[in-house]
Amino acid sequence: MRRSVRCDVMSIEVKLAFDVLAFISVMVLIVLGLGIIASMMGIFNFAHGEFVLLGAYTVYLFESSGLSAWAGILAAPVVLALIGLVLERTVIRRFYAAPIIAMLGTYAIGLVIREIVRGLLGGHYKSISEPLPGVLTVFGVDFSVWRTVIVLTTAFIVAATWLFLARTSVGLQVRGSLENPNLARACGISTTTLYAFTFAFGAALAGLAGALIVPLYQLSADIGTRFLVQAFLSVMLGGVGTFEGPVLGAAAVGGMAAGLPWLVIPVLADPLVFVIALIIVKLRPQGFITQGRL
Amino acid sequence: MLLVALVVPFALGERTDLVTLATNVLILSLLAISFDLCWGLSGIMSFGQALFFGVAGYVIALVGRDLEFSQLWAVLPLAMLVGLLLAGLFAAFLLLGRKPPTIIFVALGTLTGSYAAERLVSGWQYVGAGNGLSSIKLLQLGTYEFVEGMAFYFLALIVLVLVYLGARFLKQSQLGLVLAGMRQNEERLAFFGYRVQLFKALVFSLAGMVAGLGGALYSYHQGFIGPGNMGPGLSTTAVIYCLFGGSGTLIGPVLGTVAVEVLTYVLADIDAIKRIWPVVLGLVLLAVVMFQPKGFLGLLVSDRERIGSYGRRRPDGQDGGSGG
Repeated sequence: MRRSVRCDVMSIEVKLAFDVLAFISVMVLIVLGLGIIASMMGIFNFAHGEFVLLGAYTVYLFESSGLSAWAGILAAPVVLALIGLVLERTVIRRFYAAPIIAMLGTYAIGLVIREIVRGLLGGHYKSISEPLPGVLTVFGVDFSVWRTVIVLTTAFIVAATWLFLARTSVGLQVRGSLENPNLARACGISTTTLYAFTFAFGAALAGLAGALIVPLYQLSADIGTRFLVQAFLSVMLGGVGTFEGPVLGAAAVGGMAAGLPWLVIPVLADPLVFVIALIIVKLRPQGFITQGRL
Repeated sequence: MLLVALVVPFALGERTDLVTLATNVLILSLLAISFDLCWGLSGIMSFGQALFFGVAGYVIALVGRDLEFSQLWAVLPLAMLVGLLLAGLFAAFLLLGRKPPTIIFVALGTLTGSYAAERLVSGWQYVGAGNGLSSIKLLQLGTYEFVEGMAFYFLALIVLVLVYLGARFLKQSQLGLVLAGMRQNEERLAFFGYRVQLFKALVFSLAGMVAGLGGALYSYHQGFIGPGNMGPGLSTTAVIYCLFGGSGTLIGPVLGTVAVEVLTYVLADIDAIKRIWPVVLGLVLLAVVMFQPKGFLGLLVSDRERIGSYGRRRPDGQDGGSGG
């Protein structure tokens, strides 16, 4: 009898830990693309939430036209990479010199995308079913299969991105351009190509994030904006110009956002996350990680 | 322009809904001017101007509800004080400190503040949670009550003109000269011994005061204030107003507000355009940001007005024909 009670408490704690972990994964997935773009080009992409939205919308389009949702999840990053590439070539590249103008410009792009999708959805909420429904029972504790997929995918993406940046020659060029763009150009690295590529890559990550999280949240035009402010704070918190920084920042913000409602009343928990994060950024403006390495 | 503004309510006459729209435009113009003080005058990118607008609106709504008090001579200064203090606090946190903050930190800080406040208010039962506060006590002067319509229009107009003149005086004062210098080369001004961040904080607080005044008028005029009135949505709308009209001109943001709001109203009647209007707005904003940093009406507003003139005016000095 006593044993089973203790087991219940244990399982609640494990479940809570898992929920926090799942939310952290979502945050990391969203922030990764944002952080890479911010580090590389120094612009905070206000349209990032809309890239997430477009990823989610791609899955919806695939599912509603009778194709498998898996195909949609695979297609989303590709679609977003193309959109990102086109946007970078036509619009974003004009903003590199002026970070504030970039904020306004990307905000305008985001507004356009969001309102177009809102029009296409007709203002309705659409729910997408989880491609892998059900639960996984381990040691008497139930885990949602889809959340497990998200956690594993995020771990894989983070590891793959890190390996790509740290071990390949293109990754070396990226790191070089980050540290000293002028010198990189002088060495014959085409930073314009690299920037276009980076932006497309960041957009693709956002698309993947949107495709993966849409079953957890209903699809609406505002699915991306709800994460945007938290994602910005994560990047600031972790430190612009590093690879680990935004990931750690996202983990911290995601952990707080998912964990605080258990400690203080939910009404306060939500704004408290922002206040705490802002204070940390104020005290440590350079971020968790200071070394300029991606 | 002042003439046009004076004639408008009589021309609209019967159409009370249009008078209400015009009043609303005047009130939102205050918010636009407030943003222009930040961005156009002192180079602070504020994505949270609606925060001061909304909080002041809530405060006077609560004063009306719980204290049953809404005398004009007291509540409007109260709203200004709320805006001033809140913005002062924000400025102290975001701008002052050992190291000067990056412009990105300030922009994201104001955005975050506005967003956090919206979330806090929309979950707080005492202030009406997601529904906001409605049927706010009417604004009074003695025993006279301001309802929507002519009287409120002229009240808003007087306030706007006063704020405009005040802001214009600020811009052309010695302080404005320092701010202009800061916009051009902040480092050099710092070397001259100016405490740059302190000046910015001062202007930011004053801008908060203007936004607070606007928020109070807004909530009396609408009889309603909700979480959306302090969130990033309205904050970015203020940015759009200002950039449309041309930032740094003070009159530009007013014209921008008029243009955006009137177009929105007119187009809302046409179903085909109504649907895509936000998209068009976004595209136009993008075009403004990319190609015409002076703003759409930068073509109409003289350069002298845009940059401002300092010291004594020439005796024959006409000032670009755009007063009020």
